[in-house]
Amino acid sequence: MDFSWTEQQLKFRERVKSFIAANLPENWEEIAHGPGSSEQTEFAKTFCGRLADEGLLVPHWPVEWGGEAADPWKAFILAEEMWKVGEPRGGQYMNVNWIGPILMKFGSQAQQRTYIPPMGRGESLWCQGFSEPEAGSDLASLRTKAELEEDGYRINGQKIWTSYAGDADTCFLLARTGSGKSGISIFLVPMDTVGITVRQIPSIIGEGDIHEVFFDDVVVPESARLGEEGQAWEIIGAVLSLERVGIPRFALARATLSRAIDLLKQSGRFTPSVIEQATRAKAACEAACLFSYRIIDQRAKQIPTGAEASVGRYSTVNCERLVAEFVVEHLPESLCGDYPMLLAHHQRGIVAGIASGAAEIQLNNIATQYLELPREPR
Amino acid sequence: MDLMLNKDQAAVQEAIEAIALDFSSSPSDFHGFALVSPELDKVLLENGFFEIATIPELGPVSAAVTVERLARLPYTAETALSMMLSHVLGEVERPIAVVDGLRPGRFVREAKTVIVVDDDRIGLCHPGPSEVEDRPDALYAYPMANLVSLDGVYWLSDAERDRIKTWLRIALANEMAGLLQGAIDATVAHLSIRKQFGRPLGAFQALRHRLAECTVLSEGVRWLAVKAAWSGDAGDAALAAYHAQDAATRVIYDVHQMSGAMGMTLEMDLHLWTYRMKALLSELGGRGGQAQAVGQHVFGV
Repeated sequence: MDFSWTEQQLKFRERVKSFIAANLPENWEEIAHGPGSSEQTEFAKTFCGRLADEGLLVPHWPVEWGGEAADPWKAFILAEEMWKVGEPRGGQYMNVNWIGPILMKFGSQAQQRTYIPPMGRGESLWCQGFSEPEAGSDLASLRTKAELEEDGYRINGQKIWTSYAGDADTCFLLARTGSGKSGISIFLVPMDTVGITVRQIPSIIGEGDIHEVFFDDVVVPESARLGEEGQAWEIIGAVLSLERVGIPRFALARATLSRAIDLLKQSGRFTPSVIEQATRAKAACEAACLFSYRIIDQRAKQIPTGAEASVGRYSTVNCERLVAEFVVEHLPESLCGDYPMLLAHHQRGIVAGIASGAAEIQLNNIATQYLELPREPR
Repeated sequence: MDLMLNKDQAAVQEAIEAIALDFSSSPSDFHGFALVSPELDKVLLENGFFEIATIPELGPVSAAVTVERLARLPYTAETALSMMLSHVLGEVERPIAVVDGLRPGRFVREAKTVIVVDDDRIGLCHPGPSEVEDRPDALYAYPMANLVSLDGVYWLSDAERDRIKTWLRIALANEMAGLLQGAIDATVAHLSIRKQFGRPLGAFQALRHRLAECTVLSEGVRWLAVKAAWSGDAGDAALAAYHAQDAATRVIYDVHQMSGAMGMTLEMDLHLWTYRMKALLSELGGRGGQAQAVGQHVFGV
């Protein structure tokens, strides 16, 4: 067992840090508020373009798609450094983490040629058309319908809580083509298709993050379907396993805690009782970090991950919460905007237990798969 | 980074699993607190387990994994300090105990070497039978005793003190990780069997979620503790010990609550883990003491 980094990994981390230092503008902390603002999305396009030019956007992708087939550690080190400063890749992290890899695995050649190169250049933004008013954690009960007609699929329905929908080019859409779990299919739908209406929902996460998306007689060609009809559940399983540990949220939580401690020290307010609370938050951050490393280690060794991913996710929720609570209690002025990065963490932290599979779903997974407790009756 | 055990460490783990099998259930006629096994101690001694931290291919990580595994057993023996401090203390006789001044500690009667923490200093002593007072009525699930005076203690240098304190914290965290897991395992067994309202308790979401949360805490302790054993870093050690005592405070309550009246009995064995954890809660200054060390070594206060 060895917790140290290789020379190459250390060098790579330094390279990423230098890139970030050279490419984040002076007013970055002002831009890095709510994760879905148009200002941040616009900046992310420039930033991701530069990352792509440096070979730092998708190093873990295969060579044929512009990557260097780097091991999972490299992508994770990259993501850690990005999250540490507030994730300047904005919503494009999804392209890098899972949309690109999923299209490589399940997409048609035409879909791959259309969508993967712009992702690899840092030019595209996607949204995830999963949740509906009646289908959140119970995703399989979604109702948005895609009916095959002569000219393609006619899609009708509504999505909700959709991040980035206001600025996204394409939607990774789940719609029903039959009944039950095996009756759900995935469609890659350009957001400028006639019949799509996006309405922003004001939220505590900040401007532009969550939306309602309405599909009224939206027609897409059959070629817009990803994989086979009814294959969505299989594909979503692969998506979630990439999504659950692909986001090193602990890195931003840890950086936020460190920033908060510095501020408290400067003002003479880092007293013993405050130190103990900081210790609790710090321990939670380090535990979440080690869980993530364990999963990346398994991934690097091609060992399948099970409920460990849920343990990692729940641990991350814990650390986000403890850091956010620490900041609110000891630096309340941060929610008035005095320290933009602390505010940015707060807004990201509050969704940690809700986005990409609620914390309670993770607890269910742990209870069933890890502890092997009897299942709940349904 | 390689978070799997190396070949030698995996072999040790396999060996300890085989030993653990013989000590995995308590005798049916035992209804007490300190279920000490001299046989377990003997087997570990005969097979060289107390020296594994000093063997380069194995090191403190292997010792940590072993301590954690043994702490999951219903039987106890003085393992954590002997296994995790052997490479720090050098040639001292075991068993080893740690006490806070004249307060009671675990295995003090049996100990050939007692580490004494007294405010900001650390010393060693080798008490004779008359220099130790037994605490037979202790509720903790370890044999408890205290020194009657500090007269025989020889105090160590600041550098030795700091090093020993770090490894005491690492030992505590790894032992606590096993105790947490032992308590959770016992609770899983109870929730899987005990039925109410026509179904196993473990099928109720209120309990499933609660125990899953305990598991996340317990796993966090395990990883922080093994990382600290790998690094030997004072900050890592203090963080691991803090998280261990903090997690235990919550888990002890939760597992007893979930085990209901059964957990109150001395038949279920749950107390063997929870009342060992309680003994560890106050060691090395408790959470306040660990936080002070984190302040010094991690936050630079």
